[in-house]
Amino acid sequence: MSLFGASIRRKEDPRLLQGNGRYLSDIKLHGMVHAVFVRSPHAHALIRGIDSSAAAADPRVVCVLTPDDLPVGLPPLPCIDAEETTKPFNQPILATDKVRFVGEPVALVVVEGDRYIAEDIAGLVDVDYEPLPAVSTAEAAVAPDAPLVHFDSNVVDVLEYSVGDASSALAAAPHTLSERFITQRYAGTPLETRGVIVEWDEPRRGLTMWSSTQVPHSLKATLVGYLGLPENAVRVIAPDVGGAFGVKLQPYPEEIVLGLAAEQVGRPIKWVEDRYEHFLASTHGREQYHDVEVGYDDDGRILAIHDHAVTNTGAYLQRLTLVEPFIGVSMLSGPYVIEHQQLVSTVVMTNTTPLNPFRGVGHVQAAFTMERIVDLVAAAVGVDPGEVRKRNMFSKDVFPLHRGIGNVLAGEIIYDSGDYQECLRRAMAAAEWDDFRREQESARAEGRYKGIGIGFFVEETGLGPYESGRVRVEPSGQVIVFTGACSSGQGHDTVLAQITADELGVEFDDIVVVHGDTDLVASGVGTYASRSAPIGGTAVRHAAGSIKEQAIRIAAEMLEASPQDIELIGGEVRVKGSPGSSVSLAQVAGRVAPGQPLPAGVDEYTLDATDVYHPPTNTFSYGCHVATVEVDIDSGVVTLLRHVVVNDSGTLINPLLVDGQVQGGVALGIGGALLEEIVYGDDGQPLNANFMDYLVPAIGNMPEMVVEHMIVPTPLNADGMKGAGEGGAVGAPAAIANAVADAVLPFGAKITETPLGPETVYRALQDVS
Amino acid sequence: MKPPDFDYVAPTSVDDAIKALGSDAEAKVLAGGQSLIPLLAFRLAGPSLLVDLARVDGLDHITDEGDRLVIGAMTRQRRAERDPVVAERCPLLVESLRHVGHPQIRSRGTIGGSVAHADPAAELPAVVLALGGRVHVTGHSGDRTIEAEDLFQGFLSTSIEDGEILTAVEVPASGPRTGWSVVEIARRPGDYALCGALCQLQLDDAGAVVDAHLALIGVGDRPMRAHAVEAAVLGGASPVEAATLAPDGLSPGSDVHASSDYRLHLATVTSRRALTQALESAA
Amino acid sequence: MSDHAVTIRVNGVERSESVPARLTLADFLRERLDLTATHLACEHGVCGACTVLVDGETARACLLLTVQADGSEVTTLEGLTEGDELGPIEQAFWAKHGMQCGFCTPGFVLTIAEMLDDNPNPTREEIIEGLGGNLCRCTGYVKIVEAVEEAVSLRGGGG
Ligand SMILES: Cc1cc2nc3c(=O)[nH]c(=O)nc-3n(C[C@H](O)[C@H](O)[C@H](O)COP(=O)(O)OP(=O)(O)OC[C@H]3O[C@@H](n4cnc5c(N)ncnc54)[C@H](O)[C@@H]3O)c2cc1C
Ligand code: FES
Ligand code: FES
Repeated sequence: MSLFGASIRRKEDPRLLQGNGRYLSDIKLHGMVHAVFVRSPHAHALIRGIDSSAAAADPRVVCVLTPDDLPVGLPPLPCIDAEETTKPFNQPILATDKVRFVGEPVALVVVEGDRYIAEDIAGLVDVDYEPLPAVSTAEAAVAPDAPLVHFDSNVVDVLEYSVGDASSALAAAPHTLSERFITQRYAGTPLETRGVIVEWDEPRRGLTMWSSTQVPHSLKATLVGYLGLPENAVRVIAPDVGGAFGVKLQPYPEEIVLGLAAEQVGRPIKWVEDRYEHFLASTHGREQYHDVEVGYDDDGRILAIHDHAVTNTGAYLQRLTLVEPFIGVSMLSGPYVIEHQQLVSTVVMTNTTPLNPFRGVGHVQAAFTMERIVDLVAAAVGVDPGEVRKRNMFSKDVFPLHRGIGNVLAGEIIYDSGDYQECLRRAMAAAEWDDFRREQESARAEGRYKGIGIGFFVEETGLGPYESGRVRVEPSGQVIVFTGACSSGQGHDTVLAQITADELGVEFDDIVVVHGDTDLVASGVGTYASRSAPIGGTAVRHAAGSIKEQAIRIAAEMLEASPQDIELIGGEVRVKGSPGSSVSLAQVAGRVAPGQPLPAGVDEYTLDATDVYHPPTNTFSYGCHVATVEVDIDSGVVTLLRHVVVNDSGTLINPLLVDGQVQGGVALGIGGALLEEIVYGDDGQPLNANFMDYLVPAIGNMPEMVVEHMIVPTPLNADGMKGAGEGGAVGAPAAIANAVADAVLPFGAKITETPLGPETVYRALQDVS
Repeated sequence: MKPPDFDYVAPTSVDDAIKALGSDAEAKVLAGGQSLIPLLAFRLAGPSLLVDLARVDGLDHITDEGDRLVIGAMTRQRRAERDPVVAERCPLLVESLRHVGHPQIRSRGTIGGSVAHADPAAELPAVVLALGGRVHVTGHSGDRTIEAEDLFQGFLSTSIEDGEILTAVEVPASGPRTGWSVVEIARRPGDYALCGALCQLQLDDAGAVVDAHLALIGVGDRPMRAHAVEAAVLGGASPVEAATLAPDGLSPGSDVHASSDYRLHLATVTSRRALTQALESAA
Repeated sequence: MSDHAVTIRVNGVERSESVPARLTLADFLRERLDLTATHLACEHGVCGACTVLVDGETARACLLLTVQADGSEVTTLEGLTEGDELGPIEQAFWAKHGMQCGFCTPGFVLTIAEMLDDNPNPTREEIIEGLGGNLCRCTGYVKIVEAVEEAVSLRGGGG
């Protein structure tokens, strides 16, 4: 039986279950010293001076680094810009003259001892701030006399896309409706915070950095740039990573500062972010509202849409911040044929922690907005929400579908494959839609309010630009797979081994997967945007394919047969039709080990192949969530009953693991739908920067979950894989919000924002009565 | 997020504990640490000395005194939750304990620590208040008892003086035909509630309410006893009628979890449900 | 301030050390004893990643000072496995894909160990109630519940 497509147990688990995980904070090096960052307590302030003399006088202090100690002219953090915006809205490596959000790093303190002592001493660094008025919401930031975060305006970018002629179509539409939909600020909050260890190696005049990151290779490239070191002098290692979800997908200022301090300190330095710092200094996501007007006809067909989205991107543009405003509008129409669209996305800066993509970036807001609109249209025309969706959806014959929208961040939007209507049908069937309607009816008669809601989404996954994969067969028979995609819990070791085992027919247990070390893996991009299977996996598939070709050529000589007559089966290379005449893959590898003449027609030693796979365009996964809920009308409390997902992420390498990705995504979506919100006061002070008040869903918040797969392979890669990491998070808020809206429909309450905490629902009920 | 530096002693007698507390103006009592250590981790508290009561003799006991139940301050919450005597003499306390955090918190958290901490959203202070219990404290100038009505002074503040130790919590034992309930609105199970109502009612043979206790949590700077509601219930009002009086005299603050108005509304909702459930369980 | 001598039996081995009063048990285990399976994810008592057994009962190692644990018996994840053999709960996590990044897993395993010792045959509601104090950001908990049910049958319960 082929391992490809099988739900097998993960390679990585026994080690972790024995307590042999090696997360960043577990690493201890000889002579290690400990760092903490001095961070701004103000949302907005001028820095008039920094007095670190008291701290520096402590004998345990190894060094204190302030902005003045950094090299002159150090560029701020990089940002990939969607448009030609030239103004530097990027974050300085340490705040120089001004701080712009609570938590912005201002100085580094390194001490002998431990983190306890480091915190004691950081408290002695005296920063003289002159507080300035601050602004924390997009609405306040665009007011005429708002405090300015950077230059002359807090509106720093306006992205505009259009297809058709939305204005005319709206004017001509039989009906229109307008509404504002609000998605709050929330964050990935992996259980493991960030952390860095850096060690300077004087003889090599270089450094090794261990970091809890999703992107070791881009961190390496960034360090090479900032430190002015040659490539060979910088090694980055991502050890076991305890969750990331996008929060760890860019090089952060702390990594660069520690890199800069490494040589001066001369001893290994360790910094582990604590949970409070994490809320302040690791990127957030989402905060975006949409003002929408749609035109539709009597049958509920949506004819035109005008959307103006406003994103509060926080105090600085980070590396991929602009993906949030871009995807938020460009993916708005999802699975629906809407001929006329005018999409405007305004980027607003405030004195809050910067935004950067995390699990479901932009898609969450797009799906929430669109799916709520479809339900409002359905209610307005008196047609069942499922039927209205069907009427508006693309048919399965339209692919590839050019949406006519794109930008440099995400490429052109071309839907690759799918069958949306079937997905909807299956999800509604799995949710027992009609039975639920009856149940809802009888519950209402008893004064109990249940609701059902759909959340359909289409999601751009498998982003390029590329990923590397290398496969090497040792004469011992061990197969080593190197990948630039690195794991933060998704199970890369397992799925890449499955692909390799499938291609080469070798034993799963003979395969070792290496990732997360820039010295061992020459190039790579990392893990985000559900890209590791479609891009990383395809690269490995191609590399393994080259191994197969090489092996056949080598074996042809060994077996004295022509390559056309040779096949690779079950790890054996043999002459077709004569099973007695075979060599193992290990023997083939031995035949090309250095130190002997190569076989004729073979020009390379070692059985080793690398592929760098550039996907032609991105893949588009999709799925349909159906949630059922009960709303306690007296208190506003929402109880989740059941959550169904039918997901198409193309071919599945390991369904067990994909189920896990979807379920975990749904949990995150539930957090967004009901619980999670990063709250700032008007003065820019964070009000719930801890796990007690920021509500990550607990087990008791979970409904019964049903996950089914529908498989329409993408034509874009050999195995037909699309990304699976994020869809759970994308569809859930939309489905839950629609279910809540359905439950309170008899009261006419308006549900237009998340999170739907009890007070929000209660207020919505109050506002009508 | 590491605690600031402090010293530590673990005396074995109440006298030594009092002496240790008296020796340092910045000393603080350490019980289970489940509230104090988080405050230390955020460096929101900075004591110079912690006086750990865990090894003090005579503070870990559950004593049935007939009409009263006396629980030593250092009795762990989990022990009390599982104790058959507590279950029989004060079922409201057991029910309340199930709402306190999680098993891993209750295994270390103590009865006395929770009452002394006086969190306005905590269950145990509210039980003592609802039932008209009292606490025993010891200090330099000897022992005294403080009635629950006089104990809670404000946000995390009690009339236990610096240098005094809470040694035991006392509640009246419940009589026959008693019903109880704890109703909370919390966003995650186990979290401090946005608002909660803890109720104990006693019926006579004819089914009339002859004894009513109701305390509300999360609706002010301290646990609040709903005297007006209790009086209405004793006067024969239905739960629905009586609960409308729950917001009387309350002025809760607003925070990231709930506004003042909403908490007032929840006071009514939780009171009504708690009264209804307590009546059902008494019947 | 002066250090305090403590003796704690950790995973069956007696450890005597001198520690500052403020050192949490979690840091003692991780930094002094190199028992790094006890993870820190919040350090204020909410997430349960640092759960260990103290005298047989689960406790948050981030909310316990080492000095408080003087004289106790502490079990960490490392203490549940003997050699390469995985115990039934760990086996169940592996079989059911009860973990992704694995950061929360040690806390879950110890919580479940205590839960099943107390109640070898829990209902689904009891499982959910018992795991309420452990946060996982990756799995959505579905497969963790399945893992507990699997562990029940591996341990010979479930009848
Ligand atoms: C994640 C989490 C969730 C929680 N959820 C809840 C909840 O839902 N409901 C709830 O009620 N509690 C909750 N708690 C708090 C928990 O119940 C604590 O155990 C309790 O509040 C304090 O008890 P302790 O024994 O741990 O006291 P400590 O933390 O040791 O002490 C608390 C305070 O009381 C003082 N003190 C303690 N004992 C005495 C004494 N004998 N004499 C004088 N002063 C004393 C201390 O000096 C300190 O100021 C939660 C805690 C956590 C970490
Ligand atoms: S680290 Fe101890 S509970 Fe989170
Ligand atoms: S597996 Fe990652 S937090 Fe639970």
